Amino acid sequence: MRRKIMSAVLATVLSAGLSAPIAAEPNAEDAYKYRESIMTSLKGHAGAISMITRGLAGDPSRISSHAEAIANLSAELSSIFQEGSNVEDSEALPIIWEEPEKFAEAVARGEKAMAALSAAASDNDVEAVGRAFRKLGEACKGCHERYRKEHHH
Amino acid sequence: MIAALLITGAHAQAQQTEIERGEYLIHAGACIDCHTQDSDEATPLAGGRAIESPFGTFFSPNITPDIKTGIGSWSDDDFLNAFWEGINPEGDHYYPAFPYPSYTGVLRDDLLAMKAYLFSLKPVEKTTPEHELAWYISTRMAAGAWKLKNFDSERFSSGPEQSDRWNRGAYLVRHLGHCGECHTPRSTLGVLQYDQELAGNPNGPDESKMPNITPHKADGIGKWSVSDIEYFLDIGMLPDGDFVGSKMSAVIDHSTSKLTKDDRVAIATYLKSIAPLSSPE
Repeated sequence: MRRKIMSAVLATVLSAGLSAPIAAEPNAEDAYKYRESIMTSLKGHAGAISMITRGLAGDPSRISSHAEAIANLSAELSSIFQEGSNVEDSEALPIIWEEPEKFAEAVARGEKAMAALSAAASDNDVEAVGRAFRKLGEACKGCHERYRKEHHH
Repeated sequence: MIAALLITGAHAQAQQTEIERGEYLIHAGACIDCHTQDSDEATPLAGGRAIESPFGTFFSPNITPDIKTGIGSWSDDDFLNAFWEGINPEGDHYYPAFPYPSYTGVLRDDLLAMKAYLFSLKPVEKTTPEHELAWYISTRMAAGAWKLKNFDSERFSSGPEQSDRWNRGAYLVRHLGHCGECHTPRSTLGVLQYDQELAGNPNGPDESKMPNITPHKADGIGKWSVSDIEYFLDIGMLPDGDFVGSKMSAVIDHSTSKLTKDDRVAIATYLKSIAPLSSPE
């Protein structure tokens, strides 16, 4: 009974918040920050998977949850490169918007590799995950080579 | 003799033909990137890549075995002298854009295997453009003068107090892989500052900043494990899960990813052992 009331209260509060108008298009700085969050999430899960496949840390049973997170994030790739979002701090190169078709192909390769990784992970075959992960790395690297500024780590 | 075999890795590759061994070494020597034009239709190793430097633009030569435009007329000694002495078959000096200051350490059997592989390729007719250099180094005598002061012809010899793995790593990093040619700082006259080995070069080729790869914790790769380094050289992933897109990406694709895991571990072992240095200004 108490649970039901709590859910009802939560639903009311959340829908009140969500009924506030959402901006049609974020400003350039916010668009950039959102993209950074997505990329940071991607590398977090990628780093975690690599530690499991290398046998350094983490449990193989956790691979599929990281892979699924990556596959879920892949759905956002095509919408986080808003024109003009290459603000001063951004490492996105202007060529992204100069050759949109080629860039879209690169994004599609990334989406495909992420889906393949998730599929390999659900089969519970660590070696297959390792191979799929390499293929994903090639897609990440390929995009960064052409579309991201060189930077130091 | 045994030590020499271990350093050249010949014991592990006894079943290979010389050409197969040479192909592996060409990858370890990272020849493909400099000697291939930077375009989608470029023929590998046929030269013509523009390499920007503070001294002007160099164009890499055609190293396919074409008689007219490549190295097809070269003898074994011509090939050895190019790497060991930095001179071409006519006796002229090479500019150290061809990294013979590192390659001078490469052993005879390895070089001859590399030549055998190159000579097994299809000859490609492609003339190399002339270098476009600053006036004060536009004659090869300038390269000769530079060499007099700054270059010693010397083969690698393994240190008996170090492990085989360390020695293999030293050979791959200092000589075949010539990592310092990008990652070691240079003076204004382009001389490698060996006392700052691999501490990074803020004025790298094509105006890039080459990172510090000494084990310095803040400025270099001191927090990377041997596994992190080996894995990076294999697939280009950094320890935080990011994937490189810099010039190193091509080195990984065409060179270090083609090595055996043992060789990458050897490289990592060597890198973890050198002096941790802060980066030059």
